[in-house]
Amino acid sequence: MKKLLKPSDLARPSDCLCHIEPGELSPLPAPYEDFNQVTIPPLKPEKIKNIEASLDDTVAIGISKPASKEEEEKLIRQFLSGLKKLFEKENNWTFLQPLMLSMEHCAKCQTCSNACPVYEMSGKKEIHRPIFRSEVLRRIYKKYLKPGGKITAKLTGDIDLNWTTIARLAELSYRCTLCRRCATVCPIGVDNGLINHEIRKLFSQEMGIAPKEIHEKGTVQHLRIGSSTGMNPLAAKDSIEFIQEEMEEITGYKVEIPWDVEGADILLLHNAGEMLAWPENVGAFAIIFQAAGVSWTLSSEAAGYDAVNYGLWYDDVQFSRVAVRHADIARRLKVKKIVIGECGHAHKALTVIADRLLTGDLNVPRESALVTLEDIVLSGKLQFDPRRNDFPVTLHDPCNVVRAMGIVEPQRRILRKIAPRFREMTPHGVENYCCGGGSGFAIMSGYNFAQWRNLVSSRKKFLQILNAFEGELREVPKYVCAPCSNCKGAIRDIIGYYHAEERSRLYYSGLVELIVNAMANMKKPIIRFGEEPLWE
Amino acid sequence: MGFYVLSYLCAAVFMLVTGYLIYRQMTLPVHVRWEIYPVQHETAARTAYGGSYLEEINWWEKKQKRSLFNEIRYMLPEILLLRGLWKENRTLWQVSFPFHFGLYLMIATFGLLLVNSLLTLWKGPVFASGGNVKTILDSLIVLTGWSGLILGNVGSLGLLYKRWTDPELRNYSSFSDYFNILFILLFFLSAFVSLLFDPFLEGAKAYAFGLLTGGLPLNAYAPGQSISGGTVIVSASLLVAYIPLTHMSHMFMKYFLYHRVKWDDAPNRRGGSIEAAILKNLELKPTWKAKHVEADGRKSWRDIASSAPKEMK
Repeated sequence: MKKLLKPSDLARPSDCLCHIEPGELSPLPAPYEDFNQVTIPPLKPEKIKNIEASLDDTVAIGISKPASKEEEEKLIRQFLSGLKKLFEKENNWTFLQPLMLSMEHCAKCQTCSNACPVYEMSGKKEIHRPIFRSEVLRRIYKKYLKPGGKITAKLTGDIDLNWTTIARLAELSYRCTLCRRCATVCPIGVDNGLINHEIRKLFSQEMGIAPKEIHEKGTVQHLRIGSSTGMNPLAAKDSIEFIQEEMEEITGYKVEIPWDVEGADILLLHNAGEMLAWPENVGAFAIIFQAAGVSWTLSSEAAGYDAVNYGLWYDDVQFSRVAVRHADIARRLKVKKIVIGECGHAHKALTVIADRLLTGDLNVPRESALVTLEDIVLSGKLQFDPRRNDFPVTLHDPCNVVRAMGIVEPQRRILRKIAPRFREMTPHGVENYCCGGGSGFAIMSGYNFAQWRNLVSSRKKFLQILNAFEGELREVPKYVCAPCSNCKGAIRDIIGYYHAEERSRLYYSGLVELIVNAMANMKKPIIRFGEEPLWE
Repeated sequence: MGFYVLSYLCAAVFMLVTGYLIYRQMTLPVHVRWEIYPVQHETAARTAYGGSYLEEINWWEKKQKRSLFNEIRYMLPEILLLRGLWKENRTLWQVSFPFHFGLYLMIATFGLLLVNSLLTLWKGPVFASGGNVKTILDSLIVLTGWSGLILGNVGSLGLLYKRWTDPELRNYSSFSDYFNILFILLFFLSAFVSLLFDPFLEGAKAYAFGLLTGGLPLNAYAPGQSISGGTVIVSASLLVAYIPLTHMSHMFMKYFLYHRVKWDDAPNRRGGSIEAAILKNLELKPTWKAKHVEADGRKSWRDIASSAPKEMK
């Protein structure tokens, strides 16, 4: 029997601690068997010469190796200093209690492992067990920061602390999508997803270590330029102008998208990625709101047109800055509420997490667009012809909307009204599986991380989607409704990577597109499968 | 008397440590919300699928409906029958359930022994020898004692076997994990051996009476006359002191894991107590060292959150 990796092995020298061999990943059904022997392409040695790349077959951060022994020791000291701060209220009031409880009460029963899609799909590799990285952190904490830890470590679990341990731990914290499925099944209530989140914070807030895509190009760019996409306010306005024109051309419906309307009922916050990658989503929102006579506005202020808050995944300070910026824009616009568009992490960031950060008049009411849309769709203000959506539809549940917020039924009530061939995935709702792009993975593609995501972290979702459409003929177009930008990004990549449009006629998009597509007064369909219009 | 002193000391350690653990949890700063659904104090209709009050339009204008009944209905089978483990990890449940239920029955037995002692001290006519109350109580003590010890022995032996032989569990188990189970097994085994010689728990009744009366003997009883009896008293006492010092304190700390984190969905309303706590938190001064944080030990969270980073890293 193959020897299992132990948490203490993280400190052990090795060129690649965890390698996935061809055929080890969970098998895919027909017509995708040819992917069963595919594995993550190796990184070129010259590309990883100077960075930490010894954890597994991929690299998410690309941490530079220390140049000298002194530098290595300094980095270890920094790590321990950051670890200590995680347990101080001045530094970590935000998550101190949840962290302490999860660190102190794990019974190591492994119930969480069975719930983790990354662990399952990786071929049950030890490093992907939810408890693995938690146990590494727990052992370091007890041994190096608790009085007498070096002695008690022999009894409670030992680990060596060196640069390799630290750098691999940083990398390993970006192999979990923070979907928190593990936390829902823990009989004690321990949350390994949270511990992973705290590991990321330690590296970012103390050592300045985080993937470029979510820090430099993410929150920093968001706060400096106005959007993590790099769009400044002028570019955002241009995009919206283009979307208005496109919408009229595509649907025959003339839409006016309002900017900076003081005192509007709703400030709609979109993930700005929608404007660039899925402009029809932004346009569909505008059509619905206009047709329903809603008083609403977008904001053209920097950060006000981009709902994302990547800080949620790795850094409380950056998170707070973005959340305060969003709330302040709404406050100054004097809107009655903020409605968050189809972006899962933005939902959780601004509605739930920032709830205990925003005080006084910054505490502007926040609502999910799924709830607002349900109110409109079921109110009778719009007329629908559901036959226009006469194709198989399944719904992907974004973890941040469903498991983290309990918003489960509004989107389903809408679909039951407008999509006659809607069917659920198994499992769904609060037991759903992550798209594999959660916690920043959907936007991370440096080195060969995108391949790792498609092959490992998104694999379970791909299987779920295929199962949901089991029995449908290949030539029938199938629609995956994913009301979240990051999830859409991940699903787009799965479909592309596995050639699923060609092989299964899989398509994806959001919820508002389906709503608009079923609106009786639309002259032309907004949804097209390839070049083929749905109805005309 | 030495046995009683040990038991008193261990009970004191238990109370002090447990008190400290609870006090520490109660005084930690209010943290950001991190609930996970289903939240069991939601209405029955919503808990059925894991929904929340956030599904309502303009939810902040409405009174949040909470159901203590739903919460209890969920927690009772969770605590008593380990429902979560039954659902998610059935093979482990087969040994974990008897282990935990055995412990609960031991706690129940101890509670009944104390009731028995109190009624004996009271000397009321209701508790006269041969009376219904005494007969029922004696029977309950025998029932909970025997069933608890049988379940406890089966459960702890099963847990030990499972942890030792299952590579998934063994790979993450340390000396202390085995020690904890062995410690509890020592108690269960010694108590079971004692029970074979004292099937009606007369010795346990007498010891419990002595605990309440500062060592006053009942029926000329002297504790620890047999090796197994002495082992029961010592192991049970030490166990009581030991449990809160380990992760096994999840027996009662689970309350905080669920109510203060997993189900803590209380919204922050203007002028409310949560807002007051947040305002206090925002005055804390972080010292994170990454350049983009720009913490210098003087700036508060409020200052930092309302600024933009000048540095990239």
